[in-house]
Amino acid sequence: MSKKIVQIPLGSQHISLLEPVKFKFSCENEKIIDVDSDVGFVHRGIERACTTKFKYDKIAYVVARVCGLCAITHSLTYTMSAESLLEGEVSMKAKYLRVLMVELDRIHSHMLCLSHVSENAGYEALFMQIMGDREPIMNLQEKISGNRVQFDYIDIGGVNRDISLSVEDDIKVSLKELRGKIEDLINEFENNYTLSLRFKGIGALSLKEAQEFNALGPIARAAGLVTDVRSESNDLPYSEIGFKIVTSSGGDIYARNMVRLHEILNSITMCENIVSGIPEGEIKTKFKGKPNGEALFRLEAPRGELMYYVKGSSKPMLDRLRIKTPTFASIPAFVEIFKGQEYANAPAILASFDPCMSCTAK
Amino acid sequence: MSSQFIKAFTNLFKKPQTTTYPQDAIERTENYRGLIEYTENECIYCLKCEKACPPGAILFVPCEDPVPNDKNKKSLKYEYNPWLCIYCTECIRACPKAELALTQSDKKPQIGVKGDRVNSEWTILEQLKKGV
Amino acid sequence: MKINKIEVTLQNVVEKITKFYDPTTTHFLTLNGVAIDETKTEIQWIFADYMKLNDNTVFYVVVDQEDVVPSIVEVIPSAIMSQREVVDMFGIEVQNSAKGLYLDEDSLQKPLSGGCTL
Ligand code: SF4
Ligand code: SF4
Repeated sequence: MSKKIVQIPLGSQHISLLEPVKFKFSCENEKIIDVDSDVGFVHRGIERACTTKFKYDKIAYVVARVCGLCAITHSLTYTMSAESLLEGEVSMKAKYLRVLMVELDRIHSHMLCLSHVSENAGYEALFMQIMGDREPIMNLQEKISGNRVQFDYIDIGGVNRDISLSVEDDIKVSLKELRGKIEDLINEFENNYTLSLRFKGIGALSLKEAQEFNALGPIARAAGLVTDVRSESNDLPYSEIGFKIVTSSGGDIYARNMVRLHEILNSITMCENIVSGIPEGEIKTKFKGKPNGEALFRLEAPRGELMYYVKGSSKPMLDRLRIKTPTFASIPAFVEIFKGQEYANAPAILASFDPCMSCTAK
Repeated sequence: MSSQFIKAFTNLFKKPQTTTYPQDAIERTENYRGLIEYTENECIYCLKCEKACPPGAILFVPCEDPVPNDKNKKSLKYEYNPWLCIYCTECIRACPKAELALTQSDKKPQIGVKGDRVNSEWTILEQLKKGV
Repeated sequence: MKINKIEVTLQNVVEKITKFYDPTTTHFLTLNGVAIDETKTEIQWIFADYMKLNDNTVFYVVVDQEDVVPSIVEVIPSAIMSQREVVDMFGIEVQNSAKGLYLDEDSLQKPLSGGCTL
């Protein structure tokens, strides 16, 4: 066969990928030998808007619009960085409620990713089923915050709504049901040939590569890199509610699925622990002053580490807000994984990254 | 594998997960977030809600013939854009007369059409406000 | 979270980062810019350690609009994206870094730099 190199684009509109990202693959026969990425399709200038149009106390609502799936993580990371520049103390109850929402968010975000992975394996029925099972979690979030997607739940000083006893009961019931379903799914992803054999060894990232390319979140943990911001910071009570770091080895699609599934189980445990032990207290406390100085905050979003850098000088408008989103930082790792893979596997590999392009092109 | 096959098959006969809105009503939870309602005669025109609103969906714009209210010293008129509002209730938390002057109902706005001050008419109000 | 700030110069930044960076214990977060005034910008290289509590290291240098920031892609390949972002957003040249990750030719240029008035 001739060694002709063919250029095949994936995106910016592609049936298997509903996000505005473009990868240009140079393929030799079926193998991808080089990848070029383009992510700048939907730049919205949010960082600039946050320093010119909105005062510091409203930015939590603005940055939530960076991304629909991890809206809560964005507003929480911003809020915590702003709070560290102000005077005041968040109550323990508010912290617990914040973690509860973040973990529920992680559950449904991981489920979305798993459903896309199974869809890309040609398993439409499982896609529908996981999406259906995800629905109760979204309903729980709606019951807590009043909204399905944009929660506007976290604000400087605490959270905006209290949780009622009936909602706590609903959470317990739904999570219990979900745990059974996730255990079935683990069995399925381990033993069903369409999902296990098909994905073993595909899209692999070695531990060394993960370190070299600074992979984040489930991608890094699947490669055996022990990193999770939840255990790298003590601002949220993760150690009290039973957080356990989940890692795997191999770094292929199969390992990533397993990491996500076990993280869901861990998140369910954490949520159950939270609802059974929410401390008494105020949901919101007053914070004094205007942000002054620099703050840097990291938080584990469903896709990896999210970072906010905030700089203020005692004025209502911030001087600088920097958002570093997980997908943006992982693109070099993505590109590395693609190299040497078969083109036919590219959509499945991409789905297993769980890329979030609205985060990337904020 | 076989269990999954049976499951996939039985799923075919399940009720759909989605609600066929608008034929069926949406379920309203106790925290349901709907339109902000304003009661003029309770308002003390402190303009705190306007300042607190993140997207600027509440404006007090100067007008010629305000409703008679001695608190309204600057002849302002309350304007609310339900299509801009994100239902975050920041305004209610800021309002000194919350639950009287401002409340959150469980209604949704109807679909905004051109005549509804969704975009350009609202921009005119915003400019009017800036001109103060 | 705690920030350890280390001042560097444009000449020694690559050397210092090479010495500091150990891929098995540290990861590179991002390249950040902060506009200080009309012409001056602070460029920050942000790092964090794996599995260490609240540990962030920031190397920073204040540059003028005309300065060329050295590239660290040789040491840290994943820096390529954030370098391109800084080029677009601040209009500062980074060695060997392409323009146009986010901004089109006809859009507002260097929107986050101090000199941008809008
Ligand atoms: S609910 Fe929020 S967006 Fe709506 S008017 Fe009140 S403050 Fe503004
Ligand atoms: S905050 Fe309440 S009292 Fe003050 S202007 Fe708004 S509605 Fe009126």
